[in-house]
Amino acid sequence: MADGRTDPATIARERLRDAMVRLADGDSAALEEIYAATRVKLFGICLRILGDRKEAEDALQDVYINLWQRADRYDPTRASPISWLATFARNRAVDRLRTGKVRSGAVPVEEALPLPDEAPLADALLVDAERTAQIHQCLSKLDENTAAHIRSAFFEGYTYAQLAEAADVPLGTMKSWIRRGLQRLRACLEASEAS
Amino acid sequence: MSDTDKIPEDIDRDDPMIAAEWALGLLEGEELLDARGKYASDPNFAWRKQWWDNWFAPWTDDIAGAEPGAHVWDCIAAALNAPAAQTGGEVVALELAKAQARTRRWQWTAAITSAAAAVLLAVLVLGPQAAPDPAPTGAPQLAVSDPLVAQVPIGDAGLRLDVTYIPETGEMLVGAIGLTADGVHDHELWLVPADGSALQSLGVVTPGEVARMDLPEDVTRNLATGVELVLTREPIGGKPEGQDAGPVVAQGAFSQV
Repeated sequence: MADGRTDPATIARERLRDAMVRLADGDSAALEEIYAATRVKLFGICLRILGDRKEAEDALQDVYINLWQRADRYDPTRASPISWLATFARNRAVDRLRTGKVRSGAVPVEEALPLPDEAPLADALLVDAERTAQIHQCLSKLDENTAAHIRSAFFEGYTYAQLAEAADVPLGTMKSWIRRGLQRLRACLEASEAS
Repeated sequence: MSDTDKIPEDIDRDDPMIAAEWALGLLEGEELLDARGKYASDPNFAWRKQWWDNWFAPWTDDIAGAEPGAHVWDCIAAALNAPAAQTGGEVVALELAKAQARTRRWQWTAAITSAAAAVLLAVLVLGPQAAPDPAPTGAPQLAVSDPLVAQVPIGDAGLRLDVTYIPETGEMLVGAIGLTADGVHDHELWLVPADGSALQSLGVVTPGEVARMDLPEDVTRNLATGVELVLTREPIGGKPEGQDAGPVVAQGAFSQV
């Protein structure tokens, strides 16, 4: 490896990256390796969004089958494999919420924060630590409510309408809060990239 | 936050903002479809969506992991080996059920295609080109040539497009079931290449009919399972040259029969 790091997490990441490349080249055996390495994280994500084990298992299955069909969409220059896979799984689960009959909001907003951390994942499955710190820092600069609503959107897959209802405010108000928050978040994140 | 009640739409909802809303999962309905269409056609928008995705991805580290049931992998493996399994007979029960569902869907699609055969024949007879063999439009032959099918639901009123691509002949059948012309708009079908390159027009959809078209190689090479289709609303005649495509009103993806 170019950076000379050989800790187990780095090796695991490289192995995953390699499997993704092989999968994109049409090696379906690579999918089993990817599944073994990432299923716990991706299932956690699906379960969190969908709030139902059966639905989450269906979603997970859908994620890996889609991954197999679309692995060539992964661009290693844009994201780490785990970051991309986590995003892929979450977005597929949210799609399922939007298009299916799945009832979202299995966990009420107030109970959803703080997030459970009972099963810490292996380092290899964590998205880049530096970026993690940065997004948390930028989010903490927003007012508490806005930050909470943005996190609810992400973690529970809530729509604007659901967020507004949960907070008992008009839809337009919720949209303004979140958009203002996203604007600030973007400015903060861009500033961190520039520095 | 005393100034946050009843504020007018005072925030510039530019593309980066819409990309953020999408990345968070806030977009629904037509806005979501618009965003997907834009993602496929506008590299800047696609870049920004990924930018937000990458920044939000670390939040997934806060989600506790969970172990899925062992059957999940069995289903995935079965789907991976589906073509072989159908001949090899090593089909696990769940996959069998799925295969049956697929077959039913295919038979159903084939029935629609067959019903359209008269229209198709008329097209072939009247069309300028030498008639290619229409045989692949029959169900049994199609099953052998592994066609791709996509259903594109339009709204939730049961309207949909049925798109069938037959690799063997490079032709595509587009059935617009239940779609009626409003006299003001046409609907144009687009292929969203998986490599993120520009959308490719598959032409204006004819309401209530099944249209058949030969696809050029630069389109067919982008056709594969999972590749998405979007339907946009355009002025009569389709997207005007040099203008942006209209709003995306429906979308679907190809799957293999």
